[in-house]
Amino acid sequence: MLQAQKKHARFLFMFIFPAFIIYTVFMLLPILNSMKYSLYSGDGLIPENFVGLDNYVKLFTEERYYSKFWNAFSNNIKFFLIVTFIQNILGFFMAVFVTRSFKGNKFMRKLSFLPTTLSVLVVGFIFKLILNPYYGVFDKVLEALGLGKYIIPWLGDPRSALIIVSIAVSWQFFGESVLFYSSGIDGIDDSILEAARIDGANIWHEIIHIILPSVLPIVGIVTILIFIGDFTQFDIVYAMTGYRGDPGYSTDLMGSLFYRTAFATTERGGWGTGMGATVATMMFIIVTVGVGILLAFFNRKKEEMLK
Amino acid sequence: MELVKKTILTMLILLLAGTMAFAGGQQGSSDGAGEKVKLVFTSWRTEDIDRMNRINAEFTKQHPDIVIDFQPVKDTEYDAQLKQSLAAGVGADIIFLRSYDSGYQIYKTDSLMELNSMLPELKDFPSAAVAAWATPDKVSYAIPAAGVVHGVYYRKSIFDKYGLKVPATWDEFMKVCETLKTGGETVFAQGTKDNWMLYEVMYSGLGANFYGGEEARQALMSKEARFTDANFVLAMEKMKELQPYFPERFEGIDYVTMQQIFGTGNAAMFMGGSWEIGIFEDLGGLDDVGYFAPPLANKGDTLQYCFHVDAGIGFNKNTKYPEELKVYMKWLASSEYAQLYMNELPGFFSYTPGSYTLTNDLAKQMQSYVAKSVPTVRTVWEKLSAQAPSGNELVGEAIQLMYADKATPEQACALVDDGLSWYYE
Repeated sequence: MLQAQKKHARFLFMFIFPAFIIYTVFMLLPILNSMKYSLYSGDGLIPENFVGLDNYVKLFTEERYYSKFWNAFSNNIKFFLIVTFIQNILGFFMAVFVTRSFKGNKFMRKLSFLPTTLSVLVVGFIFKLILNPYYGVFDKVLEALGLGKYIIPWLGDPRSALIIVSIAVSWQFFGESVLFYSSGIDGIDDSILEAARIDGANIWHEIIHIILPSVLPIVGIVTILIFIGDFTQFDIVYAMTGYRGDPGYSTDLMGSLFYRTAFATTERGGWGTGMGATVATMMFIIVTVGVGILLAFFNRKKEEMLK
Repeated sequence: MELVKKTILTMLILLLAGTMAFAGGQQGSSDGAGEKVKLVFTSWRTEDIDRMNRINAEFTKQHPDIVIDFQPVKDTEYDAQLKQSLAAGVGADIIFLRSYDSGYQIYKTDSLMELNSMLPELKDFPSAAVAAWATPDKVSYAIPAAGVVHGVYYRKSIFDKYGLKVPATWDEFMKVCETLKTGGETVFAQGTKDNWMLYEVMYSGLGANFYGGEEARQALMSKEARFTDANFVLAMEKMKELQPYFPERFEGIDYVTMQQIFGTGNAAMFMGGSWEIGIFEDLGGLDDVGYFAPPLANKGDTLQYCFHVDAGIGFNKNTKYPEELKVYMKWLASSEYAQLYMNELPGFFSYTPGSYTLTNDLAKQMQSYVAKSVPTVRTVWEKLSAQAPSGNELVGEAIQLMYADKATPEQACALVDDGLSWYYE
């Protein structure tokens, strides 16, 4: 028996081994290396002077650093909240819609997933073109509808820029939430829904008493995925408002902050590789802690539901 | 079971062998180029590929054994890419370097050749340009290759329609703006979404006549003057005076859109840099495009002309072909290259000593102001941008806030001064 188990373990190891090597070389080691660099300072890509925790002390005590860091952090929280709201709530209703039986529901399902297959940069540039105040289609449509007085420079106004960027991301990854939720809804036994209908339940009763409780665990998965995606998001900001998170850093997220501080020259907002690695390490910590908290929260909810 | 195990093991071995062979294959091909030596030239000007290839073809005609491979990288990616490639030991042989601290940082990574003894010609170059790519001990690490100027482009047809003349003073400039606005024209193509333009072109270019140009810049660097001084605030106020003439919702207009608005003839003026000649040529031709230097504060003043040290050319210390590189280096420092460069890239002015003929009318006009002006460079580019937050960024941000009506000109200057506290410590 023991022999067989050992053999089985060895067999499994052979499957894991290639992935493990790739993961270690391309993920684990760079992360550890980046953490190491956060303890160094100096010119060039590889900082050489060991400074201990000095970079962290600087990041949280010198205004020129912490003002940008906390700004990006709070923008990121707002960004996460907006995206979570759109993807979770609208995604859920869309999933309910496409899982009803009507002609063309399969097509709708596919259609809703289409934007997810595009590149983030492409989506960003398309939104930027549509919203261009000079030749963008969006303003022209608003004018045609007689809503001209509500037009603002969407991506040039700090009040609207972050919301617009969040909407662009949500639009793109909306299909992913629909996919998760609709597969959850598909998993509900038809007989339960039928029984409910016979008992006179309407669509709202179905949603509140049957569908929602069954897909609740999926809310956790979707939220965690959004959290990880949003706190490492860079491309959309880069495409729509530039790596400075214009206007006036109002769309600067942790990802763009990291890119700028680590790789740009000082003239263009760089802080040197050492400080950049410090920001990267902080991102790692934020994502790890955040995912931990979310996991604990949703696990507790699940247990409560099972009771 | 045994068979499965064997199959998997064989597959793994094949995979490993394949990967190694692939890696080995790449290694081999880079060396096997034959007798010709290929030198890689990198820059942040992706739009120059054809033009630089034509220039380099002239070099290869004279030196058939050396081929120059021009491989530019997008401007915003350039610095990161350069740092990475040099650190990984795969950097280009010939490298475009930004002036002052940015280039100096690359030099400090010990990747660049020192040119003083290799290129004695450098002593004949304008000393201010040489200093932009030299250490405090005057060790040169790049050939000053190109300078750019800032001023105002205008549409001749629109000016003619209102019988307007090129303004020489700020008052005349304001009158031109007012006439165009009353006539229902889009006066400037300017937007404020990308704030670097606000600083590099507008404040450094058009503001210099008000803050006092080179003298004021030197005083700022020597800490005798502060950005909150009256002259710097005055220049900021003048920038604010332009706001009523910006297009609607200018806050959302980015750099590319501005160029398109002016380039397609939809605005009367554009405050821009000389590097934009080629872009306007591609967008709608240059027949209708004119240029004038930043308007003077008062009639009779001397023009403070922002002639910015834009690009230097450095050489990779770890090149595989030092001898060939030296041959190319000599050619880059020659007046022959300078003339070819200015023919191909009007709006970029060479620092190489010699007498040249400019073929482009706009470039000629831009240069015609130089003789009667005091040249200067962008306000806080040197020294004041060596650390975070850089002066360059601060001025751009402050002006952007001012145009968003979130700061007065005084407050904008105070923001810059506050941000520069690291310089005064």
